[in-house]
Amino acid sequence: MSKVVVVKYSGKLSKQGCTPEQYLRMLSCGFKLLTGKSNLVKILQTMIPANSVIGMKTNCLARRHNSTPVALTQALTNILTEAGFDENDIIIWERTNRELSQAGFTLNAASHGIRCFGTDTNGVGYSRDFYTFGDVNSLVTRIITDIVDYNINLPVLKDHSIAGLSAGLKNMYGAINNPNKYHDNNCDPFCAHISNLRPIKEKNHLTILDAIKVQYHGGPGYVSKYIDYYHGIIISTDPVAADTVGLKILQQIRKNNGLPVLEKVERPVKYLKSAEQIGLGVTDWNKIDIRTVTIDKHGSETIGELF
Amino acid sequence: MDRRLFLRCIGCTAAVAAATQTELFPEILGGIQNACAFDSPPQLASVEARYYKKLDEHGIECEICPRHCQVTDLERGFCGTRENRDDTYYTLVYGLPCALNIDPIEKKPLFHFYPGTTALSLATAGCNVNCKFCQNWEISQSRPEQTNNFPLDPRDAVNTCVVRKIPTIAYTYSEPVIFYEYMYDIARHGQKKGIHSVMITGGYIEEKPLHDLLPQLDAVKVDLKAIREEYYRTIVHGELKPVLDRLIQIKKEGTWLEIVYLVVPTLNDSEAEFTELARWIKTYLGNDVPTHFSRFYPQYLLKNLPPTPLKTLETAYQICQAEGLEYVYLGNVPGHKAESTYCPKCGAVVIKRRGYRVLQTNLNGNRCSKCNHIIPGIFS
Repeated sequence: MSKVVVVKYSGKLSKQGCTPEQYLRMLSCGFKLLTGKSNLVKILQTMIPANSVIGMKTNCLARRHNSTPVALTQALTNILTEAGFDENDIIIWERTNRELSQAGFTLNAASHGIRCFGTDTNGVGYSRDFYTFGDVNSLVTRIITDIVDYNINLPVLKDHSIAGLSAGLKNMYGAINNPNKYHDNNCDPFCAHISNLRPIKEKNHLTILDAIKVQYHGGPGYVSKYIDYYHGIIISTDPVAADTVGLKILQQIRKNNGLPVLEKVERPVKYLKSAEQIGLGVTDWNKIDIRTVTIDKHGSETIGELF
Repeated sequence: MDRRLFLRCIGCTAAVAAATQTELFPEILGGIQNACAFDSPPQLASVEARYYKKLDEHGIECEICPRHCQVTDLERGFCGTRENRDDTYYTLVYGLPCALNIDPIEKKPLFHFYPGTTALSLATAGCNVNCKFCQNWEISQSRPEQTNNFPLDPRDAVNTCVVRKIPTIAYTYSEPVIFYEYMYDIARHGQKKGIHSVMITGGYIEEKPLHDLLPQLDAVKVDLKAIREEYYRTIVHGELKPVLDRLIQIKKEGTWLEIVYLVVPTLNDSEAEFTELARWIKTYLGNDVPTHFSRFYPQYLLKNLPPTPLKTLETAYQICQAEGLEYVYLGNVPGHKAESTYCPKCGAVVIKRRGYRVLQTNLNGNRCSKCNHIIPGIFS
């Protein structure tokens, strides 16, 4: 069984989305449910080896409108530093500095403070050698190959005009040098194969899928008329299971808004099955242990449903 | 900036290789220094692309190559150099070459186009296919923010040629179709100043953009990578049929055409394929189109294969001659007799070459100096 935790927030959110404090509550609740343990510090110390350099792969394509929220990274950083990790060992990253800046992140490549930079930063770049799996041959960002030890994937739940779903696996397109080559056939099996490139597979351990605000159509860019609010985050160590739950939520939101399922608009999310076939995770609903919890503005938790 | 630093800035194997025969331009190098500044993020161009249409709801469809990428906001096409921003499609590489050299025209190779002259050769990042044997993959398979680019306005490119007395500009190394707008504008300016333009391409382009471009060009060399669709699908990640159609179009529209076929061991080197190729060329293009068989060296994703055996190249040469092709050449085999041009009527050597060098020309205008037979091409 792969465990997937969905934490929803029932309190009122500002136009900007969740605050770091609200995310902190959701993450705290989520990690406890995911591991079945109650001490958040110990949970993180168990999950992440001591002295690890920790990456946070953001998704900044939609700029400030609908990128990985800065507040989410702030909350996660707070938890990690509380657990004893040096803040300079935390790296918020994306393909380019421009994308990070446009999404509201403050760049920092210095030897103090939380680091935040793109692969295009001087001295970073891509691996010298190609990594190959199946139909994918790519250089992988040195942030993954050489710099971080443990990566946390922080995608945003979105519709994707070609792939159907943009979530955790799709976000790893931002870790390779040639993502534009892999959009044929609804990104299948490329989406799966990219996440199975050795350094990505070895270091990408945790997915926290932001589904506070969902681009349920017209993605992956920002189209305001197709935004709906789910007010949730999805956490799992199984990237395929996390995306499978994300897909279920996306399809339901599309239905709620009178749109057909993705299969009917020629955007079936085939790559999840391909990912399952190569052992990246599970899509079978019977093999996914979903725990859904709703927390209110006072921090009270109630067991809930996906919808 | 010295030559070594320039090459580092270009960051391209092809450019490094090419630079051994290159003079560099201080007026261009002045622009390169800016591109190498440590802290500056790469600045990309934002020139509206040609040949695309807006889709009904959102997104655009690129119409420059047969791939017809449908691209939504802030995404790019397969080439990685064209981006949709609010449903306007932009080329990000206009005026931003990442490789620039002076090459012998024979290096393109164009053997029937002003032999012994040079060409200012330039490329931007990006390509609309992904050949597993690509020699220039460091630039062709990169996005423009991953290469070191330097600003070079079309007029400056042409003026450099005028000042340096370089007769031709070659759009080469990566795939010029993906920097179509830049190439078109340089070629147009070049025409006004008497500078020729040649496109070194895979030919994976739509009919209309090619039709509009050809009047600006003086010659086209097409890499016909195979004569089998399967090879295009699996090794090139493209399609054969549109390339064949474009070859016919180039010939029909009267632009000088030469063909290169890279012979890759075990993948496109059978006698049946050479025969099929020769017959197709003879039938649809004529027997006087120069056809170059080029030797493969292990590169990029095909490092597991050996270099093409000379014997295989010679087999291709013999088959094409037997099928009636009049101008067949072997490339990447310096010193081979099949580097030279022979008069198909009297057999005399009309252009003797070694490597990229022209050693001797026995032509009166475009006629064999021995028997007066017309040699097709643009010679003077």
